[in-house]
Amino acid sequence: MSNAGEDRTKKWYEVSIKVARNYGGKVSMMPKVPIKGLRDFSIYYTPGVAGVSLEISKNPDLSFELTWRWNAIAVLTDGTRVLGLGNVGPEAALPVMEGKALIFKYLGGVDAIPLPIRVKSKEEFVAVAKAIEPSFGGINLEDIESPKCFYLLETLRRELNIPVWHDDQQGTAGAILAGLYNALKVVDKKLTGVRIVLFGAGASNIAAAEVLHTAGVPYENMTLIDSKGPLHADREDMDKLMLNNPWKYNLALKTNKERHKTIEEAMNGADVLISASTPGPGIIKKDWVRLMNKDSIVFALANPVPEIWPWEAKEAGARVVATGRSDFPNQINNSLIFPSVFRGALDVRARAISNEVIVAVAREIAKYAEERGISEDYIIPTMEEWEVYPRAAAAAAVEIVNEGLARVSTTYREELERAREIIAKARASMEKLMREGLIREIPAELVR
Amino acid sequence: MVKVRRAGEKDLDNVVELVVRLKRLNSEFDPLLKVRDDVYVQVRNWLSGFMNNKNKLLLVAESDDGRVIGVLVSEVRERLFYEPPMEGVIMDFYVMPEFRRRGIGKMMMDEAIKMLREMGAHVISAEFPAQNQISVAFYRKYGFRPMMNTYVKET
Repeated sequence: MSNAGEDRTKKWYEVSIKVARNYGGKVSMMPKVPIKGLRDFSIYYTPGVAGVSLEISKNPDLSFELTWRWNAIAVLTDGTRVLGLGNVGPEAALPVMEGKALIFKYLGGVDAIPLPIRVKSKEEFVAVAKAIEPSFGGINLEDIESPKCFYLLETLRRELNIPVWHDDQQGTAGAILAGLYNALKVVDKKLTGVRIVLFGAGASNIAAAEVLHTAGVPYENMTLIDSKGPLHADREDMDKLMLNNPWKYNLALKTNKERHKTIEEAMNGADVLISASTPGPGIIKKDWVRLMNKDSIVFALANPVPEIWPWEAKEAGARVVATGRSDFPNQINNSLIFPSVFRGALDVRARAISNEVIVAVAREIAKYAEERGISEDYIIPTMEEWEVYPRAAAAAAVEIVNEGLARVSTTYREELERAREIIAKARASMEKLMREGLIREIPAELVR
Repeated sequence: MVKVRRAGEKDLDNVVELVVRLKRLNSEFDPLLKVRDDVYVQVRNWLSGFMNNKNKLLLVAESDDGRVIGVLVSEVRERLFYEPPMEGVIMDFYVMPEFRRRGIGKMMMDEAIKMLREMGAHVISAEFPAQNQISVAFYRKYGFRPMMNTYVKET
């Protein structure tokens, strides 16, 4: 199985390289005003544009009305933790950021600019993010090593007046929560009463713990496990964590009230396992799942291979299993979250996206699936369920307005319509370009 | 309520544990503070000499449930050339993570200062790694200032 998996991965690598070369990357800038002749540039450029400049100089927030800023975000990375590849550098991060930008446009109608930067320190990263703030309505941080990513998100959320989002943290946490809401409905348990083990203490699980807490899970009910075992307040490396990873340190202080010292102790009687660690199989043992409570829920989210195969988890007693893969049921996928969150945030010209917004979006996505009828094999919508994006966008926008983080107000209905329209237009433009042959089909010999 | 008291023989195991934690924390600040493999034995032997020694002061903080959750290791030294002639030195000072930010450190330090004074010390000093900004902030907050520097290099 793993050999076949590796072969298939290699095949995808080859195709991607050929396609990247064929098209010269994946995205380009596209005008949105009509140009009938060069005289039109007197409107779009000089002299006319000076009038627009003067207006904005009087009120910088007009940049959200008179330029593309209302719909533009930066996909910002230093290339220090690209996919599972590690620190490959900013140039090598560019194709990944292009891919992200493509998804932003296709699923959220968002103009996302791939922006890998060469910086030597986290302070320099902060300086760059601050420097580019005037050009964008938001910043999506991507593929940054932990614990630096926590520092950057925390600092930039505090210091910038546009939303800053780190998808590896918040996007994944949101998708986990959306899936968990419905998994718990399937097994008839309450979020506030379950004991949750988070296996892996990297960006996504640390964020998941915080978002779960915002959603109502007491810290005491959670236990995080890293490579050294369960985190708890007495652990020998606590001082090291305090200095190097205060986010993990704070969770170690607040979680695992029962002081479980081994993985077995932590798993014993747990209701939910959320694993976001290293690719499996065999990382999560069947014996550990057997120790869990009746009707247990197992999310094994490592890619490309989950920490435990879904059928193994089920054999060991799990009732609902989710993975990060599209070829198994219940894909926990942040692509359900980030395009909609930014759609909603941009449409109300948000100053920030709080954890409460993530909870609201997760709840809406869960509700969408619930309306279609949830089961053990359907706890979360798939990426093809187009209607979920505008609904999640509307939920995000309304929550941002309610929290006073919006520059303009909206209602759920208004935003649902607006998001539908913007996303549909983005997709229609692409389809039209493909029909006209301006975006050519991938030559058959490249994908053979 | 946490209480602060002198350590007795029965506290030795717990005190050693906490002091070793502090030595490990020190390791984070300078490669020349890397702890030795036999650190436990060394700490134990060193602290054994603190019991029934009139120039040494070993304080512990005890939690409600009787756990030792803080330790302060200090001694009185003679200052041969300066006034005033007796100095109380805080050499090691550690509070368990979950009990921090609750004023226990302040409580322990106040008690230590009081007792070191009774032992004849009219100057109080503290030793800690130069890069430990948490300690710098703590002592500055309570009116301490830097006096002597220790500079190191490998030979």
